[in-house]
Amino acid sequence: MSEKKKNFGMIIDTRVCVGCSACVYACKAENGIPEGYCRDWVVQETNGEFPALTMENRSERCQHCDNAPCVTYCPTGASHYDENGTVQINRSICTGCKACMAACPYDARYVHPDGFVDKCSLCKHRIEKGQKTACVSICPTDSLHLVDFDNMTTEDKAMLRGKNVYRQKEHAGTEPRLYWISASNKPGA
Amino acid sequence: MIEGVNEIISTKMNPNVLPHLHIWEWHIPLYLFLGGIAGGLLLITSVMIVMRRHFGIGPKDEGDGCPCGAVRIGAILSPLLLGIGMLFLFLDLAHKLYVWAFYTTIQPTSPMSAGSWILVAFFPLAMLQAMVVNRKYLNALNIELLNKLIKWTDDHLLKVALLNAHIGVGIGIYTGILLSFFSARPLWSSSILGMLFLVSGISSASALMLLLAPKKEKHIYSRIDANAIWIELVIVGLFILGGITGTANTHGAMMHLIVGDHLMAGIPYMYWFWGVFITAGLLLPLLIEFLENAGFHLHLPPIAPVLVLIGGLVLRFLIVFAGQTYHTFM
Repeated sequence: MSEKKKNFGMIIDTRVCVGCSACVYACKAENGIPEGYCRDWVVQETNGEFPALTMENRSERCQHCDNAPCVTYCPTGASHYDENGTVQINRSICTGCKACMAACPYDARYVHPDGFVDKCSLCKHRIEKGQKTACVSICPTDSLHLVDFDNMTTEDKAMLRGKNVYRQKEHAGTEPRLYWISASNKPGA
Repeated sequence: MIEGVNEIISTKMNPNVLPHLHIWEWHIPLYLFLGGIAGGLLLITSVMIVMRRHFGIGPKDEGDGCPCGAVRIGAILSPLLLGIGMLFLFLDLAHKLYVWAFYTTIQPTSPMSAGSWILVAFFPLAMLQAMVVNRKYLNALNIELLNKLIKWTDDHLLKVALLNAHIGVGIGIYTGILLSFFSARPLWSSSILGMLFLVSGISSASALMLLLAPKKEKHIYSRIDANAIWIELVIVGLFILGGITGTANTHGAMMHLIVGDHLMAGIPYMYWFWGVFITAGLLLPLLIEFLENAGFHLHLPPIAPVLVLIGGLVLRFLIVFAGQTYHTFM
């Protein structure tokens, strides 16, 4: 594991996500994702009892876990933590054995038709240049936020303050680095 | 009023991406089945060699330093079947040319990394053992290196056979542990899966040897098989109990397997599990072998060992497929 210089993750405000899928297509265009595949996707979850129903839209992707089972189970070291705190795949030693796919509780990975396992890289090539990820930069409602959790800005902290924030499948012990501002924070929810 | 709902719609509902049955298909259950038989064969033949050579127990030798025919052929089949299994494993890789990457590193937390090294350790000793028990055929070739290898192995046969017995157990357990380390897949996340696949492998290996053995030696393998089957039944019972009394994740996954209506080859899991695996693959052969060993000669064709082999194969397909068609850890 490389020494961490940054600790990137995301804060996703589901209150303002309208499920437009712009993030999905921005990612596909930026990362050259083949037709029929995607590194991120939109989930719409409806809960409650009619007429008191609540709906949450979520733009989901790899959680870049701190304790990532995909890294633990990878037999060749292809799945690894990088210095930005993200989980990456070294394609030159990925055999496509799919152990990482079986290990991921978030179903975040797929087999690329070129013969390696692929997933969200948190636009590694962009964040190394100081840019935001493609999905963050395209989001029309400002739902997606790229955050360095070791150097959180005042705005980042203000986003979370006093709100119902959760992480997905935290009890799996994966220490996911995607934080979700729940739609239950919406007025009237 | 509509009852409370929880409805999830995802744009990822796409067979290329949502990995249901996209992770491991037919190659892996076949590899696990053949790996289990290979481990079982190595264990049984090693124990038979030690028992015969050091305690004088077991079927009569064929002469010229070769043990009985079933042990001779079993010793050859063990590395051969594992080799075929590894071919299926290789075919499953999405990038086959990078297979070397398994052997440039040791990843201590990855069961698949440990397994790939155990598989390498398996072959030299299993091949030496297969050579030494078939020496009368190999000596006739008169190849000096081969003769030296056979002599060295013969001089150290006790150590080689004992080591092989342990490697056989290791391979058998590994085929189950490979799956049971994946806590994201609730059906697989049971450490008893290692024991289940080991015992099933021993049972399938003894069934194969029962088919190969001459009539007068069949009772030996029939007894090994019958003992392995009832132990397997106990372990299957514990596996089911552990699942249905477990958390919501493991309970749901176990129910998906034992009463599930998801189809495999057009038949629901439930029928495969109770009808083919438990009844036809375990109970029926156990009854036949019990009756045969108790002296009731049924004069049947070798139905019992064939059923055991089918049951062992179906078990691997069921566990691998049902583990993937149930949702990931929630």
